[in-house]
Amino acid sequence: MSNLEDDLKMALRREEPPADFADRMLARLSQSPEPSWRERLSVLVRPPRLQWVAVTVMVSVLLPFAGLQIRKQQQYNAEGERAKQQLLFAVRVAGSRLHQAQKRVLEGSRVGTRL
Amino acid sequence: MKIPWVLATFVLVSAGYGQALDFKNLEKLSAKAKDVTEVTLDGSLLRFAAKFLSNDDPDQAKVKKLVAELKGIYVKTYEFEGEGEYSESDLAPIRSQLRSPGWSRIVGVHTKREHDNTEIYLKTGGTEPGGLAIVCANPRELTVVNIVGKIDLEELSELGGNLGVPKLDLDKPKGVKPDGKKDDH
Repeated sequence: MSNLEDDLKMALRREEPPADFADRMLARLSQSPEPSWRERLSVLVRPPRLQWVAVTVMVSVLLPFAGLQIRKQQQYNAEGERAKQQLLFAVRVAGSRLHQAQKRVLEGSRVGTRL
Repeated sequence: MKIPWVLATFVLVSAGYGQALDFKNLEKLSAKAKDVTEVTLDGSLLRFAAKFLSNDDPDQAKVKKLVAELKGIYVKTYEFEGEGEYSESDLAPIRSQLRSPGWSRIVGVHTKREHDNTEIYLKTGGTEPGGLAIVCANPRELTVVNIVGKIDLEELSELGGNLGVPKLDLDKPKGVKPDGKKDDH
């Protein structure tokens, strides 16, 4: 047997791991490494998270816009209601004055007829 | 005796785009008056207001129909603490406008007892603007109403009884006694 052969056998011989090897490996695996800022950033641009970001951006843009529209609509309705009340008042005044005049003409005509 | 403008008669004043009466002269009365009520609804505001009238409410539906062809409604009401706080000269510019061509006075009622003077004018004719003007003057209150555009007096009178206006029953006049001497003009 040559020396080379002996050397190889020696190098490749079966060797039992230390007794606490398995425990140490499991302990190391259970320790999650602290993610770097790149890893953290990359989490945001992963497809599922990107959808949420898009939704959030859209909501944050649309919400004030919708609020503005609702406020404008409320103002429009309030002005319309005010104008409606003015119109009803004006028609009421015109109608009542007309009625008053009619009544007096009617009464006057009755007086005339009786005389 | 027939009432000259019996309600049953359909009175339609044809109108184009009319011009409102100039109320500027009355503005100075605001300082003297106890209460001032002013309504100024020009064409666009009138259309805007009409949009908010409900078709489901019969009274509002009538008003909506009534104002459909109007170009403006203007009301000025001044209430005074005492008598004599305004004079005929304050009304002169209004009356002057109502003497211009196209306007005709259809009713003038003066009650001696209450010193109440009510006049109703119509603007009619051809391409001229149409409308209605009502001037009610009594010692403590002055009301001027100007409606510009096509106004149906029957419809307006139908609103008597609605909108808080008492309905005048013209079909049954016999049971009613006159309560004072009236001086018709």
